[in-house]
Amino acid sequence: MTSDSALPEAISAFTPATEEVKVNLQVRFKSEADRLLLILPTEAEMPPSADNWSEIWQQMKQRLNAGDRFWQPHTQVELLAADRLLDGRQLQQIADALGEVLLQMQRVRTSRRQTAVAAATAGYCVEQQAILTTLTTASVAATSPLNDPLYLQMTIRSGVEIRHSGTVVVLGDINPGGIIVANGDILVWGRLRGVAHAGASGNAKCLIMALQMEPTQLRIARYVARAPANSPEEYYPEVAYVTPDGIRLTKAADFSKLSSQFLSQS
Amino acid sequence: MSRIIVTTSGKGGVGKTTVTANLGMALARLGKQVALVDADFGLRNLDLLLGLENRIVYTAIEVFAGECRLEQALVKDKRMPNLALLPAAQNRTKEAVSPEQMTELVSALVKTYDYVVIDSPAGIELGFKNAIAPAKEALIVTTPEISAVRDADRVVGLLEAQGIKRINLIVNRLRPAMVQLNDMMSVQDVQEILAIPLIGVIPEDERVIVSTNRGEPLVLSENPSLAGTAFDNIARRLEGQTVEFLALNAPPDNIFSRIRKLLWTKII
Repeated sequence: MTSDSALPEAISAFTPATEEVKVNLQVRFKSEADRLLLILPTEAEMPPSADNWSEIWQQMKQRLNAGDRFWQPHTQVELLAADRLLDGRQLQQIADALGEVLLQMQRVRTSRRQTAVAAATAGYCVEQQAILTTLTTASVAATSPLNDPLYLQMTIRSGVEIRHSGTVVVLGDINPGGIIVANGDILVWGRLRGVAHAGASGNAKCLIMALQMEPTQLRIARYVARAPANSPEEYYPEVAYVTPDGIRLTKAADFSKLSSQFLSQS
Repeated sequence: MSRIIVTTSGKGGVGKTTVTANLGMALARLGKQVALVDADFGLRNLDLLLGLENRIVYTAIEVFAGECRLEQALVKDKRMPNLALLPAAQNRTKEAVSPEQMTELVSALVKTYDYVVIDSPAGIELGFKNAIAPAKEALIVTTPEISAVRDADRVVGLLEAQGIKRINLIVNRLRPAMVQLNDMMSVQDVQEILAIPLIGVIPEDERVIVSTNRGEPLVLSENPSLAGTAFDNIARRLEGQTVEFLALNAPPDNIFSRIRKLLWTKII
């Protein structure tokens, strides 16, 4: 029993609810040259309401807290608000949150007149765009390349959902009730107890890796698997991958040996 | 610098109000000025546990409406003069209050009190948001059950997003005998999931029910119970003292296990 300890009942006929990971539903940070872009979801993706604003607010705080070792103090931040309507109070809230981790909001890019006015009043450089430009539309295109990996240092607690159109690396645990959906691989340096969905856009070659694999459910592309009913005596780092028989787990130490044959076969 | 602490859990019935009442009383006995705020509008209980129900004249609602001064609404405890309760209204719902009002109210309280402890309602809706809005730190109360721990985990996530960094864990209603038989989650199991510092473990105790019905917090009783001592210890840990955790081992030593233990220690 060294490798291929099979997960029971690999259900292969699974159609994901959404073909493409809608990353734009979430707040994103992206490095560009000497500054950091803070990208908010458009109003089409997340209609404006008080509830959604608090959702956006929570996501932004989570991302800021999860990566705070990497923010260089006094980095300039450009807010890409797209067509989202923001008032002066909300802009101030964003600037304050960024300020807590010593980031400075400097520019606001928006296609909404009211947002532009509010930002200008608050003293930020404003770039008003006529319509939505490439950034939002390009990433929705079917053949878009994977985004940069998302590195998170946090515990993904119950109720938290991380969506990313690239690889996700988590330094911390994923608790039951937490979900990660990625277009690339998912690497968990900690315990994976929630749900992980790798290759969500349909790439079955994607992998899920965890130091301690006790998932509620694993999903890779169109495949789903549950964890064994009785937990093993001891845990070691494992890798989940797709075989013709569904999702299988193997010890991370054995995976490199296996991967040469596994990759040539698929 | 006074401290504003919210006791919350997500799930109902795990002992938030019991913890708030006993902790408030224990802190007051340490000589602190303590204000307890009931944020459970429409389903208030804190006054019952403190035995102050029949002394309520005004509630927080009247304070918000400007119908009375804050000092008039505060119910002083006769047994413990430096403990006061700000009762919630029973004839209103959570929608009658906003997070801003709560923040304003508590900022008025911190001027006179060392500790403001807010008793949060169950759930994560407006009532919860009202309760956590003014808080600077939080006490998460959970029982060693999978559902309570799951809800507590969600709440910790929400508190972190709110910017409340100082979050401590209280495991309530622990039954050491069941833990030893592997029939109940251990404190370590709970901590492994929640990953926040532990500040107290309270064993299951029938006297909690008696004290609730009498309106007399456990920490006040003459002959101290294990649960009452546990509350006292939490209060002292909040104060920054280092207090050993209670040894909660169920079966009393019989002669054989004592001999075995003795032999083991000799060998090692």
